[in-house]
Amino acid sequence: MTPALRSFAAQWQTRSADSLSPVREQAMQQFLKLGLPTTRDETWRYTNLRSLAAQSFVDAPRRIRGGIEPNASLSLLDKTDRAASLLMVNGYPTMPVVDGLISGIEIYSLQEVARVDPDMLLRFLEPLSDADQQRWTLLNTALFVDGLYLKIVSRVPVPLVILHVAAADGANNIAYPRIIIEATPGSSATIIEHHVAQGDHTPLSNSHTQIALRQDAQLEHYRVFATGADATHLDSLSIRQDRDSRCKQYTIVLGGGMVRTALEGHLDQPGAVLDSYSLLVGHEERHVDCVNIVTHGAPDTQSNQTARAIASDASRVIFNSKVIVEAGSVHAQSQQSCRGLLLSPTAEIDTRPQLEIHADEVKCAHGATTGRLDPDMLFYMLSRGLDRDTAQSLLVYAFLADVLTGMSVTSAREAIENALIAQLPDSLTLRKFR
Amino acid sequence: MLKITNLSARVAGKDILKGVNLEVRAGEVHAIMGPNGSGKSTLAQVLAGREDYEVTGGSVTFDGRDLLELPAEERARAGLFLGFQYPVEIPGVNNVYLLKAALNAKRKAAGEPEVDAYEFLTLIRQKMKFMQMSESFLSRGVNEGFSGGEKKRNEVLQMLVLEPKLAILDETDSGLDIDALKVVSAGVNTLRDSKRAIVLVTHYQRLLDYIVPDQVHVLSGGRILRSGDSTLAKELERRGYDWVQGAQVA
Repeated sequence: MTPALRSFAAQWQTRSADSLSPVREQAMQQFLKLGLPTTRDETWRYTNLRSLAAQSFVDAPRRIRGGIEPNASLSLLDKTDRAASLLMVNGYPTMPVVDGLISGIEIYSLQEVARVDPDMLLRFLEPLSDADQQRWTLLNTALFVDGLYLKIVSRVPVPLVILHVAAADGANNIAYPRIIIEATPGSSATIIEHHVAQGDHTPLSNSHTQIALRQDAQLEHYRVFATGADATHLDSLSIRQDRDSRCKQYTIVLGGGMVRTALEGHLDQPGAVLDSYSLLVGHEERHVDCVNIVTHGAPDTQSNQTARAIASDASRVIFNSKVIVEAGSVHAQSQQSCRGLLLSPTAEIDTRPQLEIHADEVKCAHGATTGRLDPDMLFYMLSRGLDRDTAQSLLVYAFLADVLTGMSVTSAREAIENALIAQLPDSLTLRKFR
Repeated sequence: MLKITNLSARVAGKDILKGVNLEVRAGEVHAIMGPNGSGKSTLAQVLAGREDYEVTGGSVTFDGRDLLELPAEERARAGLFLGFQYPVEIPGVNNVYLLKAALNAKRKAAGEPEVDAYEFLTLIRQKMKFMQMSESFLSRGVNEGFSGGEKKRNEVLQMLVLEPKLAILDETDSGLDIDALKVVSAGVNTLRDSKRAIVLVTHYQRLLDYIVPDQVHVLSGGRILRSGDSTLAKELERRGYDWVQGAQVA
């Protein structure tokens, strides 16, 4: 057993029993049996966890000494925005003082739900999956202490920001943030999960978010990773969609030394639509690994995946996407578009769009391209007198535009743009052309 | 204004220009005609500063400066404009942004202040009206989703805004219907004055009915085989390029 597994087993020993213990026990045993994923596992081919396996981890603290002032902070919202926010420190929620703080969203801590309605919670935790993209979810299920359950009950007019602050009280901390979002029939909301770090050390974050959209529900969901170069983040997101529900999902990786994001989408009933957008920016020596797997499990379902990856310096960005159309899912439509942009000779981008179709009469398309800046576009701009830095910056910005323009929260989009720009070469010239 | 002496150039390892000589003075309009593959577009791109086109010999001066020493962006700021045969689409970069950045780059090089935003928009709208372009152009990406004709109008619009000293228009007439051809020609003609020069690269004589050149040159096999006044174009139309090429062999 590796030092990491031994330390996870030790953490398990310190957990007190709760109504979820049987399923947690099962998840823990399954995780220990399967072990950490290796590059032999399908969705981990490009990400090596060997150095992580050699470390021992301890729980990150529930509270941070002093106030919250994330060092890698980027405020996603304007002061003028009407928006609501929730704070989670190392996965522990700070509950709003007044119930019903946010109109249209009921907010519960997972500890409270485990006490009051364990059966409901178990329906979200089970069944456990042994798929390699869900490996860390098993560990999260076993070890999360608290988290949030958000029940969207009507049309929520303002965005909700969940600020995840990761802060360690020493080296080798680990946190297990867990969020469950349920959108009841006909409801709609915009939820932004924003991961930042504070302090000298950043804990390893093993976060998991589950989203369930009931009939006709609509959700725009963002997960934004903006931690520092020393941070390792293993995040997974699972989305299940009922009839005629629509989900627009944005995965934005701006920071973190090593960030792995997984998305599993299940279009379980007819008419469900999932649009996912990934914006993956690697710079310095960072490693970004994004896996999307969307399963069409019903007729007339639709999924669109748009990914834009940029790698500069000696960074590496990976985008793996897979669409599975199950038998009987006639008239399913899916589209996968991944474009990669290499800004340095030592950077690397790996993309792998895949299709697995078991039904007739489906319309599925996929495309992946990776290259440098288009020399024809560059020459066109130079021939108009623009200097090379400006022309290049404009082209980089244009490359990202497909993902950015669809965001409905304007201030979040602008903040994300600014943060992106700051990480790109020639950021000053780019800023002028916003 | 422009003096090309014995210019040779190579593209992808193949010699395309094999000793071109041409002199264009201020106030003049020259037409360069020739069959497909004769090197017309290569000449235009070399003059604009395309890096992957290798100049293997000869010299080019522009207003007394060594043009070949300058990178593409400095040639543009010095007053050289290339109207592209196939203008590239740049989704995500707004037409107006590009045009404003281009104008400001030129003004900066001339030691002038940046253009005022309101003034600029007024200028653009006026030129767009002249070029009979729709308002939607303002919000679109550079050439994004434009028809062939719209792209050519956009090239001429850019030229009108930038007011270059020397405009090289590479087959700006190709793919235009007769109405668009008239609009584009009118645009080019407004730029005609004693201080500027225009080089029209074209395959057909048709454009020259609307923009009457001072001189016509026939480029073939990487060399200028024949030069004359505007009647040469008419004669070419009647007798075909074989006539010039045949004359050379003889």
